[in-house]
Amino acid sequence: MTIQKHKKLNKGEVTHIERVANEMFLIKIKTAPDFSSKPGQFISILCDGHAMRRPFSIMNFEKGEISLLFKRKGDGTAFISALKVGDTVDFIGAMGNGFSLNNDRILLVGAGVGVAPVYYLKKYLKDGVRLIAGFQNSGEIPACLKNEIDFISTDDGSGEVQGKGSIVDYLEEQISRYQPDRICVCGPHIVLKLTSEIAKAHDIPCEVAMEKTMACSIGVCRGCVITLNKNGKLENASVCKDGPVFLGEEVVW
Amino acid sequence: MVDLSVRKGKLSLKNPIMTASGTFGYADEFEDFIDVSRLGAVVTKAISLNPRPGNSWNRVIEVTSGMINSIGLENVGIEKFISDKLPVLRKKNIDFVVNLAGSGMDEYVELARICDANKIHAVELNVSCPNVKSGCLEFGTDARTLGELVKSVREVYNGCLIVKLTPNVTRIEDIALAAQENGADAVSAINTLKGLGMKLSFKNGKFYREQVIGGFSGMAVKPVALGVVNRLKSVLDIPIIGLGGIASMHDVLEFFAVGADAVQIGTANFTTPDISVRIIDELSVFMEENGFRTLEELKAELRCFPPR
Repeated sequence: MTIQKHKKLNKGEVTHIERVANEMFLIKIKTAPDFSSKPGQFISILCDGHAMRRPFSIMNFEKGEISLLFKRKGDGTAFISALKVGDTVDFIGAMGNGFSLNNDRILLVGAGVGVAPVYYLKKYLKDGVRLIAGFQNSGEIPACLKNEIDFISTDDGSGEVQGKGSIVDYLEEQISRYQPDRICVCGPHIVLKLTSEIAKAHDIPCEVAMEKTMACSIGVCRGCVITLNKNGKLENASVCKDGPVFLGEEVVW
Repeated sequence: MVDLSVRKGKLSLKNPIMTASGTFGYADEFEDFIDVSRLGAVVTKAISLNPRPGNSWNRVIEVTSGMINSIGLENVGIEKFISDKLPVLRKKNIDFVVNLAGSGMDEYVELARICDANKIHAVELNVSCPNVKSGCLEFGTDARTLGELVKSVREVYNGCLIVKLTPNVTRIEDIALAAQENGADAVSAINTLKGLGMKLSFKNGKFYREQVIGGFSGMAVKPVALGVVNRLKSVLDIPIIGLGGIASMHDVLEFFAVGADAVQIGTANFTTPDISVRIIDELSVFMEENGFRTLEELKAELRCFPPR
């Protein structure tokens, strides 16, 4: 009997785990040599005793290591936050479509833990991108990313930041200053919706990285379905397989 | 080499490990994880006459040792299934059962007629989906109505006719007998339990509630499923396909012990996409190592002593 290795079912080893903000953690996972990913894709981690895996956008993939940024919110993320260096992680991925990769001038917008995938895009493209991000307060800003973000706002203005209020409040100003060809955003639903609307008003294509509770992460359960409007025709799309990145103007918010 | 095949009436499988409807798509999605053609059979996602968009609200939520789903039978419709999915299944030598969901008697009959015309070997009548407004569950909760439905479908369909039963009834034996008496070749049990999953939090002086009302599945429902299969075994002659919370070979043996002829793996496919073929491998190794040449020998041994 041979145990077949399948390309999307992976095991990795925790090489680093660190608390980088209030309830936010950075975890690095050493992968098998054949693993590959691109910005906007995610992996789905098996949490002992849970009927659903937990999906996380990849924050970076470098030298065979996946970095994830995640917030401890419930018992699934509590399980992951308690992992130790050397522990094995069972994950599916990399899954999903990812952001489009070209040489546009891109304004990257992250809100909270949603900064992770847009940061990956910045690292990947290197030039011609500007990363702005918003957090609730200074305690929520991940220490590992502080110096990588070009403009930060906090809701209450705390910390050594450039803005007070939601990052969406600064979008008009950032657009007119930076004149992007495209906007890529990840964060809470409302941030995605507002960013998409502002981008549309400026006639700038906007890619949104969506989040939705997933059961399978591979497109079969139809649990994470959203509605798209493609030239007037409504259709379903699963966030895990058809996304998580969608054109903002096509999403029925 | 052990013989894992199941042959009982029209139910004919190369091994007893099937995957449950709604947890395996139309099979092609799993090719990144397993060799799907190794499975006893894949039961397709429920298919209706016309495509259905499914429910628009939150569809899944995790609960202790399980999950609640309210997908609402989103599917591509029978026409697209026949044109796009069926050729793929056939080309890849995947054994499959088509799960049919109608909103009324006529729709079930029409679906079965189309399946018969397309030489589909086995169908599973979904008379037990808790997440749609009409049809489905109504048929599964009344013995007389179900009997009429099975009879009408039987008239137009010659392949293996499986009826999937809901546990959300007073006496499941009556429903199962109605299926048997009207020509069903097998029953599968159980579909999901009706439930409500909730995530409640209190932040900055305010409650936040996320909830999904729908079908409860996963490891937590296994005792209910075993109980049902045990009761069905005492009244039925036709084969029983057991499902509900199966996540290991050991679970499969438990279902065999209470009378299941074959099993379906459901929610466990989500967490462990290769679980079904792993169980096939483990089962054949177990049988080989312990001198069981056929599944019948194994089942006989499991059933020959009364439980303590």
